[in-house]
Amino acid sequence: MPSIEISHGCAKGERPLVPQVCRVVEITEETPDVKSFRLQTLDGKKPFDCEPGQLGMFGLLQYGECMFVVSAQSDEWVQFTVKKVGLVTEHLHDLAVGDEVSLRGPYGNWWPTEGCKGKDMLFIAGGIGLPPVRSFLLYCLEHREDYGRIDLVYSASKYDDLVFKEQLFDVWPNDPDMHVHVSLYHEDPQWDGEVAYTAPFLDSLELGPEDGNRVAVICGGPSLSRTCRESLLNAGYSEELILTTLEMRMKCGVGKCGRCNMGGHFICLDGPIFSLAEIATMHSDV
Amino acid sequence: MILNKQKVAALLDHLSGARDVFVPATVDGVAKFARYGEGVQPDFGMVNTTMPPKDLLFPQTQKMYHFDVDANGSYRIHEYDESREQVVFGIRPCDMRSIVCMDEVFLTKGFVDEFYANARDKLLTVCVGCAQAAETCFCDSMGVDPQMAPNADVMLQDCGDAYLVLAQTEKGEAEVAEWSAFTEEADAQPVTCDLTLKVDMEGVVDKLEGMYDAPIWDNLSIKCLNCGTCTYVCPTCHCFDISQDMRRKDGIRFRCWDSCMFSEYTMMAGGHNPRPEKLERVRNRFMHKLNFFERRYGMSLCVGCGRCVEKCPVALDITRLIDEIGAYDA
Ligand SMILES: Cc1cc2nc3c(=O)[nH]c(=O)nc-3n(C[C@H](O)[C@H](O)[C@H](O)COP(=O)(O)OP(=O)(O)OC[C@H]3O[C@@H](n4cnc5c(N)ncnc54)[C@H](O)[C@@H]3O)c2cc1C
Ligand code: SF4
Ligand code: SF4
Ligand code: FES
Repeated sequence: MPSIEISHGCAKGERPLVPQVCRVVEITEETPDVKSFRLQTLDGKKPFDCEPGQLGMFGLLQYGECMFVVSAQSDEWVQFTVKKVGLVTEHLHDLAVGDEVSLRGPYGNWWPTEGCKGKDMLFIAGGIGLPPVRSFLLYCLEHREDYGRIDLVYSASKYDDLVFKEQLFDVWPNDPDMHVHVSLYHEDPQWDGEVAYTAPFLDSLELGPEDGNRVAVICGGPSLSRTCRESLLNAGYSEELILTTLEMRMKCGVGKCGRCNMGGHFICLDGPIFSLAEIATMHSDV
Repeated sequence: MILNKQKVAALLDHLSGARDVFVPATVDGVAKFARYGEGVQPDFGMVNTTMPPKDLLFPQTQKMYHFDVDANGSYRIHEYDESREQVVFGIRPCDMRSIVCMDEVFLTKGFVDEFYANARDKLLTVCVGCAQAAETCFCDSMGVDPQMAPNADVMLQDCGDAYLVLAQTEKGEAEVAEWSAFTEEADAQPVTCDLTLKVDMEGVVDKLEGMYDAPIWDNLSIKCLNCGTCTYVCPTCHCFDISQDMRRKDGIRFRCWDSCMFSEYTMMAGGHNPRPEKLERVRNRFMHKLNFFERRYGMSLCVGCGRCVEKCPVALDITRLIDEIGAYDA
């Protein structure tokens, strides 16, 4: 099977631990507990240049900083999509447009946009797993002629938990050869679409490996990841052509503080993006 | 060139005029590298300090920057550099090897840790070779020569009554050129240092590759108290936490030593913890020392200083683990 070359340990930077002060220029409420924040430097510039899939340490000086994937970017801003789950993310959700925040990065590796050229793309995400997948998906849509058919399989627990609803239902389905498949785990009065867990839903779509010409990208919680990996392997995908992101607790983001290791790999620096074939060779505690 | 041991005190007085000089000494009952001066009696006879010298480069708690938040919520960050010229005099070859490991972690792979780099540039290392070893020392089994640290600016090899002085770096040469009032042009023969504790590292790194699920980790971890002592006294343990403290409008962001032996270390929001049990944590610590670091940086992260062997309250002994790995039959 052909494999795709993924860069690891490719992020670089000077003085990595001191953040820059940035300003929130736009906030979108994606769900009751997920908000997207667009950030700019105080003089109105893009805080840093980054590749799709890279990370930033976004936070508040008084409360702390957390790692998030850059969920979208333009020439003027970077965006993070944040689920409220604990101390720092709670304070981030209290931010208003114009507020100042701290930001450092970019960190981590990026999606193999080159290696996937010419392939069909199958994106699979659950809940708050969509932001990392979206960073890649948006790149493919911007460079539409470089990629084949694009499928997005996305699920969440309730209708309210679906992030980026506007793009999901109004924008992406109208993109050429882009197919959006959404399911909810539970019946919901606001929903008349599919009700299924992601893996069986994925199976029902019969999106096979196309003789190694389709690349699958998975991002979701532990059970979604496990079941969807199994589905894809059963459908004949090779481990080289299934890409995913790993998550560990992080503090420094630059391979120094030690805590995000999986075997000898630091997920913040070598990852977070790996193929299943690479993960299979790692000493994993997860 | 030799330095007579009787001249060492005078040399230290000279060195400490302009710089902070750290020497092995027992202060408040703890053997550590203490700032030479009033009330600090250097002890070059002690084999190994209880606390490693790593805090000279990587302080236990280190301010990284100050910040203030004004009435409008505007932030200002004030950078902070605490580093100053320091001399460590009497560091041992095992601890010099630990600095090779720390340099790899903090200065390579895409990002240079600015705080470590500043302190490292300003540190002069004067290593004293060992004439005798403690019962818990096994540095030579880990590839360290107890009378030689190639990365020390100045190496003082123990020759009994005197040290043979070797200037090994540009910085060391410039330094030793200033020592003529204390040194003599003469030759001396370094004594040999015999270690009784030995381990056989032959094949251990590769063998560990296939031992992630071996039962030895169960047996080993069952008695661990997760007290973290082993990581605090280890000269190569470099994990840290980042946190902040806010008083009114002024705050500091700092980092402090952390330990992979604590369960909160890897705890994520929502309660998921990839290393929830002692088994995973103990395995991670020893795999990191003996295999992961080797794979990543091409050297062992255990330098054989024996501190964890001596200080672990339940005698969880890395040398016995290495023996067990050697004897393990899959
Ligand atoms: C590579 C990567 C990408 C991520 N991308 C996103 C994203 O795009 N959107 C999103 O909503 N979340 C993302 N997360 C998760 C996010 O970092 C955590 O939800 C966040 O750190 C929780 O912080 P808290 O202070 O609110 O939670 P608390 O539980 O109060 O956590 C306290 C501290 O623990 C650490 N921590 C806790 N959970 C995690 C975690 N899961 N990962 C890393 N550190 C953690 C942080 O340092 C945090 O400040 C990502 C995590 C990683 C590792
Ligand atoms: S010193 Fe011993 S008991 Fe304490 S954490 Fe280390 S191995 Fe466990
Ligand atoms: S693991 Fe133990 S013996 Fe090895 S360097 Fe650390 S403290 Fe010393
Ligand atoms: S977050 Fe510090 S090493 Fe990865």
